[in-house]
Amino acid sequence: MFCFCGSGVSLTKPTERQTEPQTCRATDSRVMEAIWLYQFRLIVIGDSTVGKSCLIRRFTEGRFAQVSDPTVGVDFFSRLVEIEPGKRIKLQIWDTAGQERFRSITRAYYRNSVGGLLLFDITNRRSFQNVHDWLEEARSHVQPHSIVFLLVGHKCDLEAQRQVSRQEAEKLAGAYGMRYIETSARDAINVEHAFTELTRDIFALVRTGDITIQEGWEGVKSGFVPNVVHSSEEVTKSDRRCLC
Amino acid sequence: MSDSETTAAEAPQVAAEAQDAAPTETPGGSSPTETPGGSSPTETPGGSSPTETPGGSSPTETPGGSSPTETPAAPPRAPGPRSRGSAQSGSRHRDARRPRHRRPRLLAHRDARRLLAHRDARRPLAHAPEVSTDVAPTRRARRRPEPKPAAEVKETQEVEEPPPKTPSESTVSQAGWGYWGSWGKSILSTATSTVATVGQGLSHVIEKAETSLGIPSPTELSAQVEEEEKQQASSPEGDASSETDGAVGGAMGMFSSLTSVVQSTGKTMISGGLDALEFIGKKTMDVIAEGDPGFKKTKGLRFHNSTLSQVLREAKEQEELQTAEGEASDSEKKVVAHYGMLFDEFQGLSHLEALEILSRESESKVKSVLTTLSGEERLQLRKELESIRESFSLVEFDDEDVDEQKDEDGSEFEEELTKALDGLSVSTTAGKLSKACKSASSLISEMSRPEEEAEAGEELVKKTASVEEVHAAAIRSLAELTARSIELFHKLAEMILFSSGSTEAGVLSQLTVVLCREISLLSKKFTSCLTTAGSNEKRDVLNPLITGVFLEASNSASYIQDAFQLLRPILEISHIQRTADSAEQ
Repeated sequence: MFCFCGSGVSLTKPTERQTEPQTCRATDSRVMEAIWLYQFRLIVIGDSTVGKSCLIRRFTEGRFAQVSDPTVGVDFFSRLVEIEPGKRIKLQIWDTAGQERFRSITRAYYRNSVGGLLLFDITNRRSFQNVHDWLEEARSHVQPHSIVFLLVGHKCDLEAQRQVSRQEAEKLAGAYGMRYIETSARDAINVEHAFTELTRDIFALVRTGDITIQEGWEGVKSGFVPNVVHSSEEVTKSDRRCLC
Repeated sequence: MSDSETTAAEAPQVAAEAQDAAPTETPGGSSPTETPGGSSPTETPGGSSPTETPGGSSPTETPGGSSPTETPAAPPRAPGPRSRGSAQSGSRHRDARRPRHRRPRLLAHRDARRLLAHRDARRPLAHAPEVSTDVAPTRRARRRPEPKPAAEVKETQEVEEPPPKTPSESTVSQAGWGYWGSWGKSILSTATSTVATVGQGLSHVIEKAETSLGIPSPTELSAQVEEEEKQQASSPEGDASSETDGAVGGAMGMFSSLTSVVQSTGKTMISGGLDALEFIGKKTMDVIAEGDPGFKKTKGLRFHNSTLSQVLREAKEQEELQTAEGEASDSEKKVVAHYGMLFDEFQGLSHLEALEILSRESESKVKSVLTTLSGEERLQLRKELESIRESFSLVEFDDEDVDEQKDEDGSEFEEELTKALDGLSVSTTAGKLSKACKSASSLISEMSRPEEEAEAGEELVKKTASVEEVHAAAIRSLAELTARSIELFHKLAEMILFSSGSTEAGVLSQLTVVLCREISLLSKKFTSCLTTAGSNEKRDVLNPLITGVFLEASNSASYIQDAFQLLRPILEISHIQRTADSAEQ
């Protein structure tokens, strides 16, 4: 029988990367991977070079890449997080290109996201000033759905070069109804926290019914749960398959 | 949307001739290959190049003219009877497809049954009955109860009746074995946008066929190649002996060769329209697949409109469900490989979905541009777009003879890939793809290493791989390769959209051909590996595994071809943008 107390799975650690050709060993973790309550799709946006890909890589792969090529279009990552004991959410993360020249393409990808991380670089004032534009762009392209954003001040390990104070960032975030978190992919500061907080917020909205699963929208999908947790309200509420 | 029909009508005889003639060139493998570049680099080693990449595109449609490759001015092959089907479905929105298929359903069934009956009756091979229960029982047990439309149920029953024989079948009869192969071929190569379901169906026909029609099991297919070859050659109808590779080729032979047989079945079939044949095939598969619960992966979706990624997602979810259930009930589980889950794990689904988004957006942009234009301009653009469409619908994806010995370590593939992608600046993604391919190749050579050698080398590595392990490796490799291919197409789409350079459809179709060939090659290698590993296994253990590999390989090829089709609107909008840009200057 299944243990649902959250032990055993690589929750705090990233799931094994698939590039390793481990033919048949991964059954266990794969089985566990199959069990999640919901899948949330998150999009990560922000100016180029603020560290979007690095942040995601730190979160999904547990390491920091010293060099990284600029993202072309969009890339994908996924990971499970456990927001409460026994409640796993699969995050599917769309890592968009920050460069202006890709803007027309990345625009197309907003619609199916339920949440997003909006990054700026605390050592780069310009990237902070662009936050407003990013937000506008995202909001206008997710219509008719809404999207939950978290403002992330990245590269907080570079305190000495800071150009954006925490206060003003918090103020801006508050004005748009977002939370604000400062992170560093290099020193692994708050990375976990940022993603988990956002996931929790979305989960709360799903629970209250403010966000619903919709046919033809990929933002939130409901997963499979064994019978054990079948009676929990989220499962019975969702319109998807029932395992009785 | 009647453009494509008019084109077809305008080219009555010539098109038919061209279609008739085309297949003859292929079996020898020595046919003059028309490659878009017309220059040597595109020519594949071994002379087994995938024959004509779209020759229909005439030079006029490349206004940029900047590309180094000039399309040979081949006689414009207007969509003939065979290609019309896909040209049409390509030009319409996906939604429009279903109704078109509905109408002649019953008729098709009757024909299909006749063909089936015939297949059965004429089959020259003797080892049928012993394999007849290979797959069915276990599979059947897992069948998912699902409400079926009444009509479907009825049809299923119909097919199960003993099929009547009529004398008029004689045109078909001589096909013998090859007949199946040729269906597969025409379906795989033309009906790509529907293949998400059809490809599946095809494989299931094979599966089903093993059990109910007495076609040799996959084991025999891959193991007894020579025997069948002999039998074919000595069959009284003689014609079949002209193919050396035939159905006999095992693996993809089922789907990928045997054009010559279509010919030998007589002109009537061809002039009756290959799309009709295709249609019969599809419908038959639908019906047969009704009895096959393996089809559950896509079944539910066939009744409403679905995109490729939805089909795949459903497959994955189904597998996840099974995994979760299975794990809950019995703790000890064998190695199971789930294509869908693996495909998702390699982010194939995400890339596919992103590609679909781009494709859809481009499609609607193209439409809106068309509505804003008027008169002469609009006609002109229509014509240009039509030629892009044509080059997407005339592609032959199947390679006649995939040589199993070829490409031992995946380096040839890398070479071809690099060639096909030259100048398209997607090297990172292409690198991932080659890597996936190489690791698959090394897996194969590792697993197919002779036993003694392995033992002598390292004792810890234990005996040779078990059949389950080989199977799991095969499915995993196929899933990875397919996912990476889709990723490549997605990246290509993005590059095409944001760069203003021109990309020829021919390059993309060439790429698709290369990828499909690699899939086919891999599946062959893996199945022969399976056969070796399972030499001591019982048939009912080995056969489903081999079938499984074939199935996922044919699915993989379908997914890749579908992804290729998704690029069409992207090329169209890119063409429009380029034209607009040059007009401004």
